[in-house]
Amino acid sequence: MTRPESEAEESDASAEAASAASTEAFNRYVLPELEVLYRTARSLTRNATDAEDLVQDTLLRAYRAIDRFDGRYPKAWLLTIMRNANINRARKKKPDLLDDPELTFERSVEFAETSGPEEIVTDPMFDASVIDAFDALSNDFRQVVELVDLNGLAYQEAADILGVPVGTVMSRLHRARRRIRDHLGEHGLDSEANLPRGSTMKDVVVGSAS
Amino acid sequence: MKLFKKMRGELSCDDVMEVLQSYLDGETDADTARKVASHLDDCTDCDLESSVYQNIRVSLSVNKAPIDPVVLDSLRHFGERVSRGEID
Ligand SMILES: [Zn+2]
Repeated sequence: MTRPESEAEESDASAEAASAASTEAFNRYVLPELEVLYRTARSLTRNATDAEDLVQDTLLRAYRAIDRFDGRYPKAWLLTIMRNANINRARKKKPDLLDDPELTFERSVEFAETSGPEEIVTDPMFDASVIDAFDALSNDFRQVVELVDLNGLAYQEAADILGVPVGTVMSRLHRARRRIRDHLGEHGLDSEANLPRGSTMKDVVVGSAS
Repeated sequence: MKLFKKMRGELSCDDVMEVLQSYLDGETDADTARKVASHLDDCTDCDLESSVYQNIRVSLSVNKAPIDPVVLDSLRHFGERVSRGEID
């Protein structure tokens, strides 16, 4: 009698062997990519809790599909799974968004339903370009970006740590970001349509703006 | 309100470009911040530029910011349980 290849059937020896093979493949191909998965999830969801959920969902889907995976390009395989999981998540979320402002609603519908190549590609392309430009910065420049943008220090705090005048921090920081910005421009990624987090971020401006 | 701001002197696009990054970092004085905000409300070009810089900041923090090791550990723990078939 043939058994369905269902993971629910684990009561006999062959199912156990299959499960051991799944465990091994999962440990070899999936677990090493965990950090990439989490970073990508943060980028896709823009929210730490959703990112964790998305990674968990992706891990479960990967486990269920691992016996059909041929072992080539695990990262690409996993990111495809994550992409589908995320589309699914956005679909499920859609009803709740009816109460939300139009923009959020439109964006999420757009993401869930027309997320063909462009919508998926925009995020990684923008991010990849930012990362390229960031990695190409000289140490002095990268350092101030790290202190201010990644660690959230004020200009004066960064200046104190580095032992340089605050004007130096400001000029390095602004030039560094300008390079990243120009790099985006060179790749045509500085238009409204290419901004992965949209242009509806006015509320996130920090500090004295309010 | 708008007229009042006008009387106090609106910023040109060049002025805004000069202080935009400081503004987004919350490093300008309140008066400048108000003027920049008011300019961005009316000027699509500068507003887009502002969005580009904000997107850069978010992108950097998503991709380059240190990962919370506790979160990563808990995900690893979850992954190991999935791997043993304990969760599905
Ligand atoms: Zn302007």
